[in-house]
Amino acid sequence: MKIEIKDLRFTFPTGLEALKGISLTIEAGEQVAIVGQNGAGKTTLVRHFNGLLQPASGSVMIGDWDVKKYSVAKLATRVGYVFQNPDEQLFSRDVLTEVTFGPKNLGYAKEKIDELVQRALSLTELNDKTETNPYDLSPTWRKMVALASIIAMDTPIVIFDEPTTGQDALNVARIANAISELRMEGKTVITITHDIDFCAENFDRVIALSNGQVLLDGPAREILGQDEVLAQTYVDPPQLTRLGKRLGLKETVRNQEEFLKAIT
Amino acid sequence: MHERLSFHIKRDSVIHRLNPLTKLVLILALILIAFTFPWYWAPHFLLLLAIIPLGILGRVFPEFFKTATRLILPAASFLFLMQAFFQPIGEDVIFKFYFLDITQESLMFAFRNAMRVFVMVSAFTLFLLTTHPSELMSDLTRRGLPPQFAYVIISTLQILPQMQAKAQTIIAAQRSRGLDTESTFLKRAGSVLPLVGPLVFGSLVEVEERAIAIEARGFTSKNVKTSLYEIPDPSFDKFIRWSLLGLVILSIAANLWPS
Repeated sequence: MKIEIKDLRFTFPTGLEALKGISLTIEAGEQVAIVGQNGAGKTTLVRHFNGLLQPASGSVMIGDWDVKKYSVAKLATRVGYVFQNPDEQLFSRDVLTEVTFGPKNLGYAKEKIDELVQRALSLTELNDKTETNPYDLSPTWRKMVALASIIAMDTPIVIFDEPTTGQDALNVARIANAISELRMEGKTVITITHDIDFCAENFDRVIALSNGQVLLDGPAREILGQDEVLAQTYVDPPQLTRLGKRLGLKETVRNQEEFLKAIT
Repeated sequence: MHERLSFHIKRDSVIHRLNPLTKLVLILALILIAFTFPWYWAPHFLLLLAIIPLGILGRVFPEFFKTATRLILPAASFLFLMQAFFQPIGEDVIFKFYFLDITQESLMFAFRNAMRVFVMVSAFTLFLLTTHPSELMSDLTRRGLPPQFAYVIISTLQILPQMQAKAQTIIAAQRSRGLDTESTFLKRAGSVLPLVGPLVFGSLVEVEERAIAIEARGFTSKNVKTSLYEIPDPSFDKFIRWSLLGLVILSIAANLWPS
């Protein structure tokens, strides 16, 4: 499902202008990472996709829906949004109820719900924890519950807000795996991240925001090579990209595979 | 951090600069005098000649006026009517309404009592408008108030806005998962239940975390603590406090004096 943003502006009640005219098109099935310094407007931007925030001016279209005309609950059928802090999102007594909450609200048939919940649980490797209270799980697993509860909604667009913050390497790999599964199913995945290595390894397109405006937008390889521009929004390219540059490699490398290929 | 639930208005004025204890003594003195001084018009004069000028001096008069007319005046009027009708004193009936009599005496009595209450509540309003709660608490703690007591007061003032913000986030998260909170009344009512759990649970977790955090910074330590903010207490403040105490004693003495 296509997302079309035209000259989006948003000002907080405090008077802070968080988005200063953003225009973007995200095609169905794209894997997009949004990077940028704190306060650049990343979360403010994606909160417009499911109607949690309403544009002050400009428009956001999710497929053929104008977000201004649909409620958050309605938009939830198209956009799943995983909050940055799982503690703000989890409230059920056990993992199974938690993951079932979303698809049940969306009104799927019983069999479909069971199927979606099972798929989400196995994608996030939570199968053996279904009866645990989410608050008895470690923060890393709570994050996975938050992910599963959105994945189970089977929305064509999935947004992750800082999925890897505070996660160990093993769990980052789990999250990356879940994202690549969603990619294979043809879903649009939009991820806000500060973890530039994670961004380089898993996303085709990178959008860098700075001060409520789009600083850079393009294929990851192109964007991650522009260290001077990225520095404006306090983003450092991945270590291997920087090393490749220092070594004078012709192409911008994003991950180990590309790096090894370039030096041999 | 969310803003505390407080009436305090941050402005620079003579009253704002007074030591919090001086302000507390000041309003308590005003209240005691209003209630004990034998002269009938004492509370009325206090309102006109002390409380209103103090409000202007403290540069909070517009806010004070708003609170006084919207909140205190209706309450005091209600009290006035109740007492005027139901106080069984005096014989000089000036108004009759079925079985209810209003006498000259009950009218005067009710007017004075309503005025006293008006003075009391408006004095406190003035105090709250010009004093930041944490400033008052750190000053009182420095003077020997148990810090636990101060903590209870301050955290109570904090908890409401915090829970409100928390509730907003939880509602946002649940709506993002398709919970319909805006359509019919039944659906709205049904959506309250999933909100209560995380709200209460989250608040309990927060209380525990805060307790650990302040203990980690030596909350219950018996050593003398220093304060980040020095709250000045010049000798002028001490002079005001003792003078006010003197006035209160005079007023009480006048009240007890066999006339």
